[in-house]
Amino acid sequence: MLKYILKRILMVIPVLLGVTIIIFFITRVLASDPAPVVLGEHATAEAMAAWRADYGLDDPIWMQYVNFLVSAIQGDLGTSYYTHTPVASELAARFPATAELALCAIIVASICGIALGVLAAVKKNKLADNASMVLALIGVSMPVFWSGILLILLFSATLHILPSSGRVTPLLQPTGGTGFFIFDTIAKGDFEALGDVLVHLVLPTVTLSLYSMAIITRMTRSSMLETLNADYIRTARAKGLAKRSVNVKHALRNAMLPVSTVIGLQLGSLLGGALLTETVFAWPGIGKFAVDCVLKSDFPVVQGVVLLVAVIFVFMNLLVDIIYAWLDPRIKYGAKEEG
Amino acid sequence: MEENKLKFSRRQFMGLLGTAVAGTAMMGMVGCSGGGSEKKGDGKAASGDKAADSITYSLTADPRALDPAYFDDGESAVVSCNIYEGLYGFAEKNAEVKPLLATELPEISDDGLTYTIKLREGVKFHDGTDFNADAVKTSIERLLEPNRNSDQPYASFVFGEEAANSGVKTVEAVDATTVKITMRAANTSFLKNLAMALASPIVSPKAIEAASAGSAITTPCGTGPYKFVDWTKSASVTLEANEDYWDKDNAPKTKNIIFKIIAEGNTRITSLLNGECDIISSVDPSSANQITDGGYELFSEDGMTINYMAFNTDEGGICADKEVRKAIAQAINVEEMVSAIYGEYASVANSVMPLWMAPYDKDVKQTAYDPDAAKATLAAKGVTKLACITYSTARPYNAKGGVELANMVQGYLSKVGVDVEITQYDWTTYKSKVQTDPYDICFYGWTGDNGDPDNFMNLPADSNRSMNVAHWDNEEYKALIAKGIATPDGDERDAIYKQCEEMMAEEQPWLLISHSKNLLGYSPKVKGFYYHPTGVAFFKGVSKEA
Amino acid sequence: MSKKTVLATQGAAGEVTNSQAQQPVEKRESIWKDVLDGIVSNKAALVSAIFILLLALIAIVTKLVPGILPYDPYEQNLAESVQGPSAAHWFGTDIQGRDIFSRVLVGTQITLVVGLAAVAISLTVGVLLGAIAGYKGGKWDTVIMRIMDMMLAIPSILLAIAIMAALGQGIEKAVVAIGLVAIPEYARIVRSEILAIKENDYVAAARVIGDSNFAIVFRHVLPNALPSIIVRATLGISSAILDCAALGFLGLGVQPPDAEWGDMLGRGRNELFRAPWLMIFPGLAITLTVLAFNLLGDGIRDGLDPKSRKR
Repeated sequence: MLKYILKRILMVIPVLLGVTIIIFFITRVLASDPAPVVLGEHATAEAMAAWRADYGLDDPIWMQYVNFLVSAIQGDLGTSYYTHTPVASELAARFPATAELALCAIIVASICGIALGVLAAVKKNKLADNASMVLALIGVSMPVFWSGILLILLFSATLHILPSSGRVTPLLQPTGGTGFFIFDTIAKGDFEALGDVLVHLVLPTVTLSLYSMAIITRMTRSSMLETLNADYIRTARAKGLAKRSVNVKHALRNAMLPVSTVIGLQLGSLLGGALLTETVFAWPGIGKFAVDCVLKSDFPVVQGVVLLVAVIFVFMNLLVDIIYAWLDPRIKYGAKEEG
Repeated sequence: MEENKLKFSRRQFMGLLGTAVAGTAMMGMVGCSGGGSEKKGDGKAASGDKAADSITYSLTADPRALDPAYFDDGESAVVSCNIYEGLYGFAEKNAEVKPLLATELPEISDDGLTYTIKLREGVKFHDGTDFNADAVKTSIERLLEPNRNSDQPYASFVFGEEAANSGVKTVEAVDATTVKITMRAANTSFLKNLAMALASPIVSPKAIEAASAGSAITTPCGTGPYKFVDWTKSASVTLEANEDYWDKDNAPKTKNIIFKIIAEGNTRITSLLNGECDIISSVDPSSANQITDGGYELFSEDGMTINYMAFNTDEGGICADKEVRKAIAQAINVEEMVSAIYGEYASVANSVMPLWMAPYDKDVKQTAYDPDAAKATLAAKGVTKLACITYSTARPYNAKGGVELANMVQGYLSKVGVDVEITQYDWTTYKSKVQTDPYDICFYGWTGDNGDPDNFMNLPADSNRSMNVAHWDNEEYKALIAKGIATPDGDERDAIYKQCEEMMAEEQPWLLISHSKNLLGYSPKVKGFYYHPTGVAFFKGVSKEA
Repeated sequence: MSKKTVLATQGAAGEVTNSQAQQPVEKRESIWKDVLDGIVSNKAALVSAIFILLLALIAIVTKLVPGILPYDPYEQNLAESVQGPSAAHWFGTDIQGRDIFSRVLVGTQITLVVGLAAVAISLTVGVLLGAIAGYKGGKWDTVIMRIMDMMLAIPSILLAIAIMAALGQGIEKAVVAIGLVAIPEYARIVRSEILAIKENDYVAAARVIGDSNFAIVFRHVLPNALPSIIVRATLGISSAILDCAALGFLGLGVQPPDAEWGDMLGRGRNELFRAPWLMIFPGLAITLTVLAFNLLGDGIRDGLDPKSRKR
């Protein structure tokens, strides 16, 4: 097991290298010259040439890549073309917002999704099943920006009970902490601010988790049904075990296999969804920032965002794979399984 | 055996997972209900003490930088103009130049080359540094060659270039309260440039020294009515009243000014209706009723803008022919289009400059709508297809973005037998595409920086293709522009720019569309708010009732 | 497990009771028969199937006979700019005075093509790669799954936007971008299904009999993974439609005057307060279409899983 984990960790390196190559190819080979885009209306040809030299954009492409890689390993992700601040600090300022939102969303989605999925499978074709499935279907069928705007329309613009934008009322914002406001406000014992932070989290979390929750519900239900029909469950029933204990003890454990994969995969779609959710709720995270930077050719930032997200995502997948291997003893950990 | 061991550990794991899930669920519920029930009291508490003395203003994007030398965007300008002040500023509601950190208008030598400026005494920067002639010299010199760098977008615009023999040659501190600026050539708009929120405002020399060379200062520090407190990227910028502001008559009346960044138009409206913001910028004309219906105030004043369609006049192109340009202009019902897109919140443009800026422009005659004549000419000329590029992003001169305009022009031209092929880009991409794409028509616009006619009329004479998107190259017109910049303000100068306007109408490198209004929404509790036509908002006289 | 239970297992999966159950031809027939049974016996799935067929019909008819629409979906008429729903314009008009109902109908063309084409790309490539990785294992598995991980490590919307920002706009590019970014999901699902079943006795038995690897994968392994693939593919069509709408919402969609629901919705949101119908009808169209594909997928799933079917 330990050997398997180490091997998987080593495999992470080529993945991250591959990610940097993909994004470098897109931003520096496929895309057009950023100089006129960045320098704008008052730029002259000389100014643009000087600017390109400043940012090392007239070097051969391989050299640009090597330079990028060498500095990235040292923690230097370059400087934004627009704000002239180091990309690493731009990301550090925004990342906690996205992470807090995504974590809340994945927790809500997993809890509600698994609970609804199990309920639906156990009460197949009963009211609870139908209700869960209708909820899941709505969640998976509505565009996330549409549901976000409709929620704002209802809870903010009409009922005035929940805020529509931002993470916190600016004057209540905890300063100098980790940037994870739930944690920061608790650490400071500022419960007025904590309440404000939680209230601001409600609509974005619901919006963002809806899709993932629906996917997890569906997957839990369908794999629960699959295992409920499998031979060994029938055998267990035949042996006279009570139905409920059969469901919980056997089916759920086996059903968790595909569900864990789906939860892992959902992290990717959550970060994608975060991009739209952040747009709708003016959430100061990296999602919206990344889109803006792609559109204005701020390549150092784009590379930084993609690399950061890739690192997180790759390690999350690693975790899922390890849990997966642990849950399913049929998977062997070495290469010797080939036969 | 192995199987059993694994089973055991898996069972343990499931148990752990179950506990964890249940635990988080409970925490989540507690958190939610706590948040929910606290909300009402919370809202009151916030408006009761902490928020009562603050005004929240929505920006549409992050400022680019909070250092006047390093930005060219309206978001930075709105924030910065409350932190920093220049030697000169504009009058409250128009672009008339007034002394600010200078005591009076400068003494200008007869040849227009030397500016002698007297400075106000007893003014201090927020960090306690004295404001004096040396501070002015430091602030300006970092924008002059060779100190200038490519990240200072307005440096060459305001302070000129050696190569072009324009702008500022030297800045001298004659004594502690006198500054002498020597120009390379006379420039009537220089004084107006000094009053802009971009490039010209004076920055604390201590802050400049503390910043790394060639980059924006990170602790904004000026002499203005508000002090910088915090900038949370993509979220908000917080300012605090400067208790020691030099101008006691205009001392800040509100403790905190908060700029909240909200990109989506609908979210901005909601945040106003929901009490999260007190003032929102860039209101879409179609949402204006929502604001007034909700009991909020609508700020709607003429902006200093022009919204136009340009013909590509490059040799060999379809629109190199003046008659084709005129015929296309005849095919488009500008009045109907402006009213459909902007309703009452923009006026049909009859001149390049808005009328309030240049009242002499009202007699200029633009091409009239005449689809039948257009159809005949275009058929005779064999024009059946036009390539059009446009921008998708909302602009100060066009709150709807360029796509609606392009779609409508496409609709009009299809009625006179011309197919228009539209390509759209976001604004930043678009700025480079206007230099490279082989278009026949494109959409563009301009927001005035300083209220000077040259700032508008120079555009179709500019050698930079991204400024002069019609690629118009008319020697007669360029001579007029050169004459205008060197002529002092007065009737003679007005006559030159009127001639420019007439040439623009006659030669038709542009089809003028509209002058927009600046649309903002604000709470009736906010008193004394005014959005300046140069695209900034001064908060020193603004207050909010509890 | 003995050979007998293997047959029983297959019987359970395919609801085939004769002893020739492992024969590939009969098995495949029975799967598609079950798919049909599932749809017919499930009211929601049946309605959805009819709805989707209707959409396809609308798409084809409006493409071939545009005159059948109540209004020209592209023609500008500023005299009727931004009008609410009425007898003349059931869904109202947009800022250019175009009939939203006609534009929603025409929008089925792009939506269905994007959904199906993108899924075709990701399904074909993803299933193939996943099958190779899962079945072959070893180096194949490592290389393929590492490439999948690289792609998965970049959020699909971000990757799609970056590709479109570099290549320029266009619905074909959107299809390719949306199709490419979804490949890893299929590959991973197929691989994990295969990992879970490839050690089963009947696969081992097939090996002993001497079937080629190719034959084993296609006759024995893939059919067992088919239910998961079908469930995933129905969800995939919905995701593709939603991704396309998201690109439209961000202003990266179709070229004007083409009608695409996500694009219409994205533009309509600017008028939300004045003209909510501009956003509501395209939003409903997307939601209903996606819903229909999901319900259809459920029906198919139940058909393939007779033990869970209502009887």
